[in-house]
Amino acid sequence: MNTQKKAASPPDMRSTVPQPAIKPEREPGLKVSGLSLELGDAPILRDISFSLPDRGISILIGPSGAGKSTLLRCLNLLHQSWQGDLRIMGQDVRAWTGGEDALRRTVGLIAQKPALFPCSIAQNVVFGLGKKARKQVSGERIEQVLRQAALWDEVKGRLSEAASTLSVGQQQRLCIARALALEPAMLLLDEPTASLDPRSKQCIETSLRQMAEQMPVLCVTHDIEQAKRLGGQIIFMCDGRLIESGDSDDFFTRPERIESREFLRWSVCDCG
Amino acid sequence: MNERRAKTFVIILALPALLLPAACLLYILFKGVPALDWAMLFGSSEAADAFGSVTTLWPQIAGSLLLMLGACLLAAPVALGGTLFYALTASARQRQGLLGMMHLLVGIPPIVYGLCGLIVLVHLLHWGISLLTGMVILAVIILPMLLLNSVNAIARIPSEKTEAARALGLSHGQLIRRVWLPAAWPALITGLLLGMARALSETAPILFTATVFSGVAWPDSLFSPVTSLQTHIFYLAQEGANAQSVDIAWASAVILVALVTALSFSASALRKVRMH
Ligand SMILES: Nc1ncnc2c1ncn2[C@@H]1O[C@H](COP(=O)(O)OP(=O)(O)OP(=O)(O)O)[C@@H](O)[C@H]1O
Ligand SMILES: [Mg+2]
Repeated sequence: MNTQKKAASPPDMRSTVPQPAIKPEREPGLKVSGLSLELGDAPILRDISFSLPDRGISILIGPSGAGKSTLLRCLNLLHQSWQGDLRIMGQDVRAWTGGEDALRRTVGLIAQKPALFPCSIAQNVVFGLGKKARKQVSGERIEQVLRQAALWDEVKGRLSEAASTLSVGQQQRLCIARALALEPAMLLLDEPTASLDPRSKQCIETSLRQMAEQMPVLCVTHDIEQAKRLGGQIIFMCDGRLIESGDSDDFFTRPERIESREFLRWSVCDCG
Repeated sequence: MNERRAKTFVIILALPALLLPAACLLYILFKGVPALDWAMLFGSSEAADAFGSVTTLWPQIAGSLLLMLGACLLAAPVALGGTLFYALTASARQRQGLLGMMHLLVGIPPIVYGLCGLIVLVHLLHWGISLLTGMVILAVIILPMLLLNSVNAIARIPSEKTEAARALGLSHGQLIRRVWLPAAWPALITGLLLGMARALSETAPILFTATVFSGVAWPDSLFSPVTSLQTHIFYLAQEGANAQSVDIAWASAVILVALVTALSFSASALRKVRMH
């Protein structure tokens, strides 16, 4: 039983040992089939199916309350009562090697609302690491993830200060750095730039593109312009259903479904 | 003008809340402190006369503290377990059931627990009138209090924090150790101190299940009866004609009040720690 599980384990993106037997080029990074979720008898997600390539950015958009955050939480197993099939790099997440905690470290989730722990900035960055790794982590590694999260320049002189002294936008970027410190094999971001200025937004977008060269990145955003800039695959959700998904250019120029057109019409009005 | 009248009215309403306990406290000190002396606290218990008007109070103090500590040692782990069950694994319905049950138990008069203890522990299990019986009864009395307190303490931790820790792959154990305990320990200790104060002041349920008037200095085992400050006051107050026993009752009251107040003050000091 145990050995079987091991044999079916997904390729570890971090390991340098090549595993050709289980790494076919076109294995989707994430495959969701017929995912449905009820919370307190109310259907929140209904029969959602899509897949993400093994690298590249995908954008999840949809009106408020569509179930975007809930979907991300399902992918990270923070919600577990869903029905359906969910495979990451070909492996069923319910039978993940190392259990759900290991899965959550592999699938980095950056929540919509930043939540920091009452310790220093540096300690927050390494919060998800094991005890030994926390002690051994190098200053360079901390700098590296903070740079990737476009936060290094603002905090480099105050790493030992309390994380609660940061602004909300900085906190959000610290949460990104905290997830990156775990070297995830996939990133789920819930409106990562919602409270950022245009410049930091650009920095984060640049890092997201860089990270997307190695792993699938799924990013929720309400910012249509940002969605266009990031490109890639668009997944449009409304009222707990997946309405349309496809290439970014196609979606924004020739939306197929009436819900998508309606949604984009409002977004155009928003942008003036 | 109107506002001033309202203020005066509120103050008049609030005054008794302030004055009555203060007056009580002053009166206890006024009566009790002169009755206290070193020999009474720590003197040998052999000076006891035949009628049990023991003039030393350390066995009572020891008995009260033993009952209190035993009750807390029994109740605290159960409360902690219940809290973790509530916070980690219970379904919505189980949570509702647990909370409803605890609210119900908080409302039951302590004497009823004493009665149940008498029937089940003393008679059915043959534990007799003993220290252990008293500990168990007091533990049952403070359990709902402790559990409700710790459930509240955990519930006050923002769910985003818990979710963020889970999303980082922390196991339940790490979540408890690294997120919940650092955030909730002042509230947990505050609850425990208040539970200790409650166990120290509860009198009726141990009156006929755990304590005797005199003749015991230090209990030989968990199955021997003890003496306690709170029941001592009750026994002595009934001998109102005997001036000396009334004096000792007052002295016992001072000690008891001092112990309970110390616990309550530590609890409120910790509550301030939590706020900062
Ligand atoms: N724990 C829960 N219990 C019951 N209903 C929930 C729960 N969490 C979310 N919902 C409901 O699920 C729906 C989707 O919520 P969700 O947070 O996923 O929306 P969203 O698409 O992320 O919206 P926004 O863009 O505003 O963040 C909402 O109608 C919400 O009320
Ligand atoms: Mg959301």
